[in-house]
Amino acid sequence: MISAHRRLLFAIILLVFLLIQVGVATEISVGRVKPDILLVATICWALLEGPSRGALFGFFGGLLEDAFTTAVMGVGAFAKTILGYMGGELRQRIVSKSILWPVVIVFLGSILHELIKFATWALVGMEERPAFSFGVITGLAFYNAVLTVVVYPILARFSAGEERAMMF
Amino acid sequence: MIERENRRQRTLLIVLVVICVLLVTVYSRESSDGIFHRLQRFSMDVVSPLQKGMGKVMSPVREGIGFLLDLGRARGERDRLKEEVKTLEERVHELEETKRENEMLREMISVKEANPGLEFLVVDVIGANPDAWEQTILIGAGYSDGLQEYMAVLSEDGSLVGRIILCTSQSSVVQLITDEDSAVGAKLQRNSEMGVLRGEGGSRVHLELLNQEADVQTGDAVVSSGLGGTCPAGIPIGVITEIGEKQADLSVGIIIQPRASMTRLDKVLVVMSPPPSTAPGMAEGGR
Repeated sequence: MISAHRRLLFAIILLVFLLIQVGVATEISVGRVKPDILLVATICWALLEGPSRGALFGFFGGLLEDAFTTAVMGVGAFAKTILGYMGGELRQRIVSKSILWPVVIVFLGSILHELIKFATWALVGMEERPAFSFGVITGLAFYNAVLTVVVYPILARFSAGEERAMMF
Repeated sequence: MIERENRRQRTLLIVLVVICVLLVTVYSRESSDGIFHRLQRFSMDVVSPLQKGMGKVMSPVREGIGFLLDLGRARGERDRLKEEVKTLEERVHELEETKRENEMLREMISVKEANPGLEFLVVDVIGANPDAWEQTILIGAGYSDGLQEYMAVLSEDGSLVGRIILCTSQSSVVQLITDEDSAVGAKLQRNSEMGVLRGEGGSRVHLELLNQEADVQTGDAVVSSGLGGTCPAGIPIGVITEIGEKQADLSVGIIIQPRASMTRLDKVLVVMSPPPSTAPGMAEGGR
């Protein structure tokens, strides 16, 4: 059973990363590559807390992000829910505590996240969707992977899991 | 226990995914006035001031990132600009040199126009005598160019510099009027009082007037008198800067500041015509 304290912490972390994503991501974009800090937080949180909490983090984070932007509502929530769940699932299979794993998982997860979004946009028949560019997606994944080095240790401090110790 | 937990997790995932799918479906089917579209617009209104504020706060970070990204590009640009600056500096130097030379030649032409009866040859100064006791320069033309000893030499602005005292086939030695052994026939331009100009070995020369009672004033211009046959008459020499007391032999020390700068000569004009009629004569002394 999740305590009220943990729920509050979850909400605060979610809101902080949402605000960072909405307010900061554009400011630190490099060319066409805008980092998805909320996705990084979702995957890191899932790696630390497991599939359920990862999926919930991704769902609420994605939903709020969709609400604050012009995106098709639900697409971001859908993609982040899937990634949050998968990140949590991977946590149970990876024994190493090295930070390189989260970095690699975020890199691959970011690519998958964008592919899910493009596929969903195509499925719902969205007419004005952005032009697919694997270069931009790879750049985004690389940027997100770099940010993981900062985000993961921060989230590890608030995690109830046992993943606090990290090695490079 | 674990199986139940796994089932709970999967159920949660399915519920969340279904909600998302429903949301996407409803959103993409509804009109732009639909509830989710309106909710989205409201949320954007709420969050836009925050984005604006964050934009201001984060601009140094953005600039910092931009700076880092520009570093590599800037390095290449710096090297390219360095090369360009070097090339341009060389070009500026060349142009300045050309301009200076142009001005000098203009002056020389005006000297020629002011003295229609004279013919000049422009000659480069190729060296100066390092001996502290001799005030001579070496010029890059000799008797193969038509030069001969005792020809007068003028500066680029037409002032008297000295005369040739030694000619070889390719070069000549010019004795400056400031040399201690130099003596040139001169006169005051204002009243034509005659005298002999003698070097003092420094940067000045002094004038010995034939008439000790002559009217002489500071600032009077001194020109060559033409006597002696080596230097044409009327060539500017300098101005009187100092008039001393009468000496026991009744002579007066009159100090002249030469008009030509003897230490900054690049090119000189050698008076080719009329040629010197004799070696330094009555009114002129010398070696």
